[in-house]
Amino acid sequence: MKAVGARLPRYDGIGHVTGRTQYVDDIRVGKNLWAKALRSPHHHASITSLDTGKAEQMKGVHAVVTHLDVPKNVYGHLEGLGVPADEPLLAEGDVRYKGQPIAAVAAESEAAAMAALEAIEVRYEERPALFDIRQALDPDAPQIHQWGNVYPHYGPYNHRRVRKGDIDRAFDDADVIVEGVYRPQAIEQMPMETQVSLVVPEASGRLTIYSCTQAMYFSMGVVAAHLQVPLNKLKFVGGTVGGGFGGKVDTASETISALLALKSRRPVKWRWTREEEFLASATRAPWHIELADAVTKDGWILGRRTLTLHDSGAYARFSPYGVTKHAFHHSGAYTIPNLRFDGFVAFTNRVPTSAMRGFGVTSVSFAVETHMNRIAEVLGLDPWELRLKNANRIGDTSGNGVVLKDPSTVPVTLAAADRVGIELAASFRAMTPEPRSGDLLPAHLVAQQSLNGEEA
Amino acid sequence: MKLIVNGMELDIVSPPLTPLLHVLRDELDITSPKAGCQQGGCGTCTVLVDGEPRRSCLTAVATVDGASITTVEGLGDRDALSPVQAAFHRHYAAQCGFCTPGMVIAATALIQRAGGPVERADVLEALGGHYCRCTGYVKIIDAVVAASRGEVDQIEDLPVSVAGEPEVQPKGSPA
Repeated sequence: MKAVGARLPRYDGIGHVTGRTQYVDDIRVGKNLWAKALRSPHHHASITSLDTGKAEQMKGVHAVVTHLDVPKNVYGHLEGLGVPADEPLLAEGDVRYKGQPIAAVAAESEAAAMAALEAIEVRYEERPALFDIRQALDPDAPQIHQWGNVYPHYGPYNHRRVRKGDIDRAFDDADVIVEGVYRPQAIEQMPMETQVSLVVPEASGRLTIYSCTQAMYFSMGVVAAHLQVPLNKLKFVGGTVGGGFGGKVDTASETISALLALKSRRPVKWRWTREEEFLASATRAPWHIELADAVTKDGWILGRRTLTLHDSGAYARFSPYGVTKHAFHHSGAYTIPNLRFDGFVAFTNRVPTSAMRGFGVTSVSFAVETHMNRIAEVLGLDPWELRLKNANRIGDTSGNGVVLKDPSTVPVTLAAADRVGIELAASFRAMTPEPRSGDLLPAHLVAQQSLNGEEA
Repeated sequence: MKLIVNGMELDIVSPPLTPLLHVLRDELDITSPKAGCQQGGCGTCTVLVDGEPRRSCLTAVATVDGASITTVEGLGDRDALSPVQAAFHRHYAAQCGFCTPGMVIAATALIQRAGGPVERADVLEALGGHYCRCTGYVKIIDAVVAASRGEVDQIEDLPVSVAGEPEVQPKGSPA
């Protein structure tokens, strides 16, 4: 326990302040080729023709790749769970978001690679695009995805569900119904280091892949799947990441760099521009969240109905997982005995969305905490006291049936009140996370308490 | 063309309009200035040109022919950190580290110009064009103010590795 409570230097701190830390872009392997991608200028279109012949003949160009060069072009992050693949590495047939890669070039300079992209002949037939998840379920909405506009693989359902207690009775028993709509928007993670990879074909036949990924073994699996090679043909080198914040969970550049390295038989580096980072890298998802809470005049939340639409962008990636996490957290840090949650993953013609700092959780926390304030305002109650009253207690049962053994809502809320100088009544200041009793155990919460600590 | 880079006089063969950033990184393999945006917006490519902080990504090398260029590699090394480098390390002002070279260079120029202690407002002004996405800036500002006041612990104060012992041996730990 030498480190606990001690002020330790960063192990990489001196490298950072002396400029010696080697990020992927700082690796030197001798002369490398530079990669650039032809990206869709349209949000939604079919590709009617694609001809890379002229680009291939240009001076300084060593490889051009399209979907025809990818051993397994269409891949899905959730294939291991039995969900079919849905996203092409390089577009074939259709483009579904502006910035989607269609072809890629490796050339002796970035300028030569850019010139070669200009020489690729591609024709599109534009289609109507869909950007608003609220329209995704309309019968006349543009159809975006091979599965329609909603992800259909939640077991027998086309959405993530939570059903707990008797929601209709909670709404019948309520004094007031408090409704709210919350729409957190897309955010680009914007790490200082853009997406970058360097792939070196080794004499052994392996590829060494210098990667800025946040998820080494996951990225290795993605590259191996697309290339259809065993993992022992890939050596991933990473761990030094110039910021990620979730934006480097999805495998952005490694696979295409690897394809170009294999085809050109030379080292290939792909360093995204800042513009590409904003245009084509995954963002945090926009959400549409509708909450309706059945509450009593004295501030008990009897039930909550939730409809959530998650904007997955053009492909599924990890969005179904994000919505599942969202579902787990939709009752917040509070004990609500009756829940009905329906969460949909909707497709739009936006860049695919992905992780950012609390995947699926921050969005619903924003909605829930704003809603708590709204309830307090409607009821004329103190928002701190409303939170403390409904806070998770030891032995309470969460929305997804977990009996809570160490919930921190009460101490964290009290500490937050203290830090911002909020004066609470003595009865609230004295609260602990211990199991409910007395006034804090009204009839509607009795069944929520599992005194023997076993899973409900 | 010639540049004096971190005290070494070097002949430059890149074409005259090549950004100084690419001359440093790709011709000279000096990699601390980063290609963060290559549009002059983020500050991580900042170097000193004859003592003044400049965005190397927007500086054509021909316009600084003969100049003296300083990057963080030229400020100090592990055994002799500059005051700004030591303060950044001590104050945890570097997290992922990608913006750090530009921050350290700009802070060094600020303190040289001021010739003494600087206030937080001075730091905000001087580092206003430098993005950091990890720290939230507070620790960076603390580090620059501390460096300007000479409140910099020497690196020898930091725990050192002992053969056969775990890497981490902080002074004053309960063990």
